[in-house]
Amino acid sequence: MELLRPSSLEEATAALGNGSRALVGGTELVPLVRDGLVQADTLVDVRDLIPRGIDGSRIGAGTTLAELEVEPQIPEALREACRLAASPQLRNMGSVGGNLLQSTRCWYWRLKYPCYLHGGDVCHAKAGEHREHAIFGNERCASAHPSDVAAALVALGASMRTTSRELPVADLYRLPTDDNRDVAPLEPGELILDLDVPTPDSSVYLKAMERQRYAFPLVGVAAARTAGTTRIALAGVAPIPWLLASPEALDEATPLPRTAYKVDIARALVRRALEAL
Amino acid sequence: MARLIKTEKEVEGRYTEQWIVVDEDALDQWPEGPLEVVGREVPRIDGHDRARGLAGYTADVRLPGLLQAAVLRSPHARARVKSIDLSPALAADGVRAAVGPDDIEGLTDEPAYMGAAVAAVAADTFGAARAAIDLIDVEWEELEPLLDPDEAVKQGSLLDESVTYERGDFERGLAEADAVVEAEYRTQVVLHNSLETHQSIAHWEDGGLTIYISTQYIWGVRAAVAKQTGLPEDKVRVICLAMGGGFGSKNSPGDYTPIAIELAKRTGQPVRCALTRREENVAAGNRNATIQRITAAARADGTLTALGGEFVNAIGFSGWSSSTEGPMQMLYACENMRTVKHSAKLNLPPMAAFRAPGFVEGTFGLECLLDELAAKLDIDPLELRRRNYADSDRMDERPFSSKQLAECYRRAEPHWQRRNEVRASSSGPWKRGVGLASQIWYGGGGPPSYAWVRVGSNGHAQVVTAMQDIGTGSRTAMAQIAAEELGIPVDHVHVSLGDSARGPYATLSAGSSTIPSMGPATRSAAADAKRQILEIAAQRFNLEERVLDLKGGKIVSADGGAWELTEITGLLEDAQILGNGARGPNPTGMRVLTFGVQVAEVAVDVETGEVRVDKIVAIHDVGRVINALGASSQVEGGIIQGLGHTLSEERLVDPHTGRVLTQSLDAYKLPTIADVPEIVTDLVDVPDPHLTNLGAKGLGEPPIIPVAAAVANAIRDATGADVRSLPISREEMLKALREAEAKKRVPVGTASS
Repeated sequence: MELLRPSSLEEATAALGNGSRALVGGTELVPLVRDGLVQADTLVDVRDLIPRGIDGSRIGAGTTLAELEVEPQIPEALREACRLAASPQLRNMGSVGGNLLQSTRCWYWRLKYPCYLHGGDVCHAKAGEHREHAIFGNERCASAHPSDVAAALVALGASMRTTSRELPVADLYRLPTDDNRDVAPLEPGELILDLDVPTPDSSVYLKAMERQRYAFPLVGVAAARTAGTTRIALAGVAPIPWLLASPEALDEATPLPRTAYKVDIARALVRRALEAL
Repeated sequence: MARLIKTEKEVEGRYTEQWIVVDEDALDQWPEGPLEVVGREVPRIDGHDRARGLAGYTADVRLPGLLQAAVLRSPHARARVKSIDLSPALAADGVRAAVGPDDIEGLTDEPAYMGAAVAAVAADTFGAARAAIDLIDVEWEELEPLLDPDEAVKQGSLLDESVTYERGDFERGLAEADAVVEAEYRTQVVLHNSLETHQSIAHWEDGGLTIYISTQYIWGVRAAVAKQTGLPEDKVRVICLAMGGGFGSKNSPGDYTPIAIELAKRTGQPVRCALTRREENVAAGNRNATIQRITAAARADGTLTALGGEFVNAIGFSGWSSSTEGPMQMLYACENMRTVKHSAKLNLPPMAAFRAPGFVEGTFGLECLLDELAAKLDIDPLELRRRNYADSDRMDERPFSSKQLAECYRRAEPHWQRRNEVRASSSGPWKRGVGLASQIWYGGGGPPSYAWVRVGSNGHAQVVTAMQDIGTGSRTAMAQIAAEELGIPVDHVHVSLGDSARGPYATLSAGSSTIPSMGPATRSAAADAKRQILEIAAQRFNLEERVLDLKGGKIVSADGGAWELTEITGLLEDAQILGNGARGPNPTGMRVLTFGVQVAEVAVDVETGEVRVDKIVAIHDVGRVINALGASSQVEGGIIQGLGHTLSEERLVDPHTGRVLTQSLDAYKLPTIADVPEIVTDLVDVPDPHLTNLGAKGLGEPPIIPVAAAVANAIRDATGADVRSLPISREEMLKALREAEAKKRVPVGTASS
């Protein structure tokens, strides 16, 4: 395997695609490469090329979660989502841009079962062990999206600028389809450069996990209120961060036999989040 | 004169008879309570080195020409290897040897669980070895695995014959009862997850074989390796350096040691075979799951009239069937009992002993059921336990060598009395409560166990014994015991251990047996050295031996005379005084057991199912305490491991293929430091008067035993919900709350049971 350290974004973009992958913190990519879930001949180190730091509402995609969690001007939902994610060591390395591109923790996907998300026909979790899996958007694939930060950014109505376009963070994600199993498709060579996070009147992130720290969300609830409008987004409940149209939309959840409890948790946390706004 | 006697030896509740050689004259026990060194807080001798990364582990051994092994493990729960071709692996870069199912015992062509070792290679680097494993060409025939324990019992797939135990008349006991409760409890599979994975290095040299291994039993490994290789035992040297945990899973050589030995033989180079973390979570053993369908019956005054039930140990493909029914049989004075135990053999990874195997699981069922009974009888749960206090072992009517459980209960009282206050502090969705559970377990240790003590001309001592310190602090404890006996400061004692070629036979470090086995041997060796020093001093100073003693680093006489110890030992120049010590036999006709009670305070968010354990008070009777600091560390470690078992840890397998899903530590959730509650340790510290020259029992296992039941009972106190299945995940907690709610809604008079 080769590690490239290009000196400009243009060089980096040119080097990407075709079996190479961009590397920033490495907390996600390195384990995936090690486990053979990502086949890459070349890693392209873009740490020094991706913007890093906070400037008003703009956050460089290379900013670490640890940097965001202590910054008072960052909306609370995002700060809390960072603080409650992973461990201090991982938050010191992991970038916010990379966090948005995390793969699911579904054990079947991680163990390379030939599942729907890997391009197969069936979701092994649905007929197997799925207690940590989805309650929404789970018709073809019951995996749960693991990013606390993504749910917070979706609730906050954040947008992102990449090397080729600008788009709302919510639009990055799509449920896997027969034609494309990628839940956060970027174009070859496309890099997330920065995020624009509008300042809400109030925001909050609440997280349920199986231990006090250092666990992916069973249910994460982000809520943000701006000029009388409230947006709610959930982590850990669907293959992608899940925008909840209203608290009542939880009645439309499609839990699996062992994920019905997540609906109960979501109800309680959504109510608490709205009370806290 | 040496004495040969036959005695009973117990490990993890399994008894065997054994010949042993012991000292002629037994020493009197020291007086009760903290002494000069023993019973005090002494920081771990190797603590700083461990914390700073200076302590050497097996993985740190760098021998010239060391090769690394990797193992091909079955990805299938049950399969047949129709054909296997090692040649592509052998042809790969850096590969020096490969072995398959025909080459050694331990590699199989009929894997019966995921993770069974099938083949192995040795290469210059681990990366090359790992890559070569993927090149091995295997044609598998997948077979249907048996995964359901009840189904296994039905089909007669059993590891051992089912065991029925009866005393009194169980049916009569039920008929005499005013209240009967029955329930089904389930415990999950949990993994040891030793920080240091299972591993060994095999090095053929000078016509013999040296094994570096992370092990709980140097001498067991030596015997097993001698048997495998046909070498005389003294040609096998086993070395255990600093160790990063075993918890019962490192009692044997495993599959990795025979693999390293064979690969080292074939290559003529030393070979290291170490499990990866993922292999550790699949193939390093586990605490087996259990199903407990149990019944308790009592009269209105709380007197138990019957206890019984069916226990299913879901063992995996091999291992042994621990005593899940043991706490029920031993903890209370109940005349009428019938227990049946089935040992289901499944196509799942083998069980290995895990910190109080059986009793952790069985105590969860028994002690939760007792609280359900107490509620039905409207009797205080602590009072119910007192009313059924056992004065002797009801299995065979043997008296206990010592039992301070009543004192543990007395000390628990103020913590238990907090429950009204704790309950009243509930607010909003957070309900608070207090629960308790009792503990019974073995931990008496036993012979054969030997030690030497050398006292040099500088007056410093060295304890020499081929025991292992598995991370529990036994090295420090041995130094304390020798220092106490010799009347010298603890930092004047060096402990040499961990090498079968350097010191006498020492016991297996399992079953909470290291301190009660090795401690008396060390004291006996130090006393032998002391006797010689005093005999020499008596000659030198023209005094009678009986007026002399060793204290504060000096030789003192009854009339106030005092001489530096070095005045005698210094005469030896480079030579030393050598003391020889043996562990004496356990008391005949008695049961040596440990006892305790834990009180837990919890808070439950009844809307989200979150359980927070705020505090655990651990009160245990383990006889004499050797190191008060090390003891509280042991208690904390046991409770934290128990909390993982109670709240978050579970090995999951795919219900169709039997493959382990929780191979990594994000999926298998060990507790983090943020999950650790306030822990209060209170040890009764009264020596067992019958237990050899020390009166100290083991403490490794007792603290983990009552954790789950104490927490579940506190949850019941807080919420009224009965949690009957571990771990108490969000899902489980919410389910129990829903069931409690439904039960409340059933109109009075229609409830069954």
